[in-house]
Amino acid sequence: MLQRFQYAAPTTRDELLGLLAERKGKARLLAGGTDLLVNIRNGVMKPELVINVKKVQGYSGITWSQSEGLILRPATTINDVLRDRQVRELFPLLSECAHDLASYQIRNRATVIGNVVNASPCSDMAPALLCLGAKAVIASKRGEREVPFGEFFKGVKKTVVQDDEILERIVVPASSAGARGLYRKLKRINGHDLGIIGVAVMKKDGLVRLGISSSAPTPVLVDGLGEKDDIETIVAAARKAISPISDVRCSKEYRQYMVEVFVKRLFAEVE
Amino acid sequence: MMQVRVTVNGRVFERDVEEHQTLLRFLREDLGFTGTKEGCGAGECGACTVFLDGKTVNSCMVLAVEADGSSIETIEGEAKEGKLSVIQEAFDRHHAVQCGFCTGGMVMSVRELLQRTPKPSVDQIKEGIEGNFCRCTGYQQIIEAVLDASGQKELADKGGLKHA
Repeated sequence: MLQRFQYAAPTTRDELLGLLAERKGKARLLAGGTDLLVNIRNGVMKPELVINVKKVQGYSGITWSQSEGLILRPATTINDVLRDRQVRELFPLLSECAHDLASYQIRNRATVIGNVVNASPCSDMAPALLCLGAKAVIASKRGEREVPFGEFFKGVKKTVVQDDEILERIVVPASSAGARGLYRKLKRINGHDLGIIGVAVMKKDGLVRLGISSSAPTPVLVDGLGEKDDIETIVAAARKAISPISDVRCSKEYRQYMVEVFVKRLFAEVE
Repeated sequence: MMQVRVTVNGRVFERDVEEHQTLLRFLREDLGFTGTKEGCGAGECGACTVFLDGKTVNSCMVLAVEADGSSIETIEGEAKEGKLSVIQEAFDRHHAVQCGFCTGGMVMSVRELLQRTPKPSVDQIKEGIEGNFCRCTGYQQIIEAVLDASGQKELADKGGLKHA
């Protein structure tokens, strides 16, 4: 049984931003609910007001254009990303990460924006967004601001998004279209599981970026590498960027080791 | 309290519901559709899987108020006019049911899988049911049942375990 809360389902952006400003810190946004409702159930979150964002006009769907890039919105689900042909063709790394997130039913409901604002170190969408140079467009009654994903995560379950704000759009720049990439997640079982570690490798125009999950307090971006770098340089950069811990899933040494193994394998596999 | 109007297996229901009520509890306790089960209550086990506007969801992680205006299908709607569906018959034939707790949700996920992939491979079946835990059968019989239900009886019979 969930604890009591009030519920609102605004249909306009103004109404939503007004509620957030008014109930600052006492409200929580509901998109897929696959993290929020579990957190409420476990008593981790005790919102007075739950605001459903899915009915707000203009908050769903995926759009792509050369001038604006790829835009994901608050109600864009993981399966929306997987079903989108243009995402598959132009940003295959996004599809790779989406495919490894939870189970089919959860992918039907969970959103890309929810996955990143939840800010778990094991976020599956973060490695792709970090590698692709995506930015978060964050809105409130005070206005709009843009934050690159490299500066978005501030700690375990912490982001730059303030109490009166909503991450309203994820913009993946057109300059990242055509980037090749793979994501691999080490799990205890083949199916639906949280990652022990996850590594994404992206190559584009001679540049190499790594996105690493479950290996530091936040998902990690490793930038400034090139396709001509030898593999030891790439692995050393990954090792330097992560700070894994030991927990119920495995030891920090194992995480460190497997990140290196996955970086080596994926670097060779991404054509 | 808020008023909610939903269609479940083709029947319309209007009820007052608490804002914090999950769709799962609403279906089970207010409307009496107890074929949908609560296993973990946290999106791990899939026993609460139902169709919400044509897409499978874990009903333990949906609020009843979010479903206002929606069409829902549960395991109670699977058999039509007293006749089991193709999937249910295949589950029966292959002993894909033991305690039955996962079966309602499992059948929902299988139906969704077969709608999108009419002849799934074993790997596609495993992926299609990855969000549904079964602690009795070891999945083998379920996979065989899905192969059979999708017109791949020969593959199902080669599955290694023989029943019936």
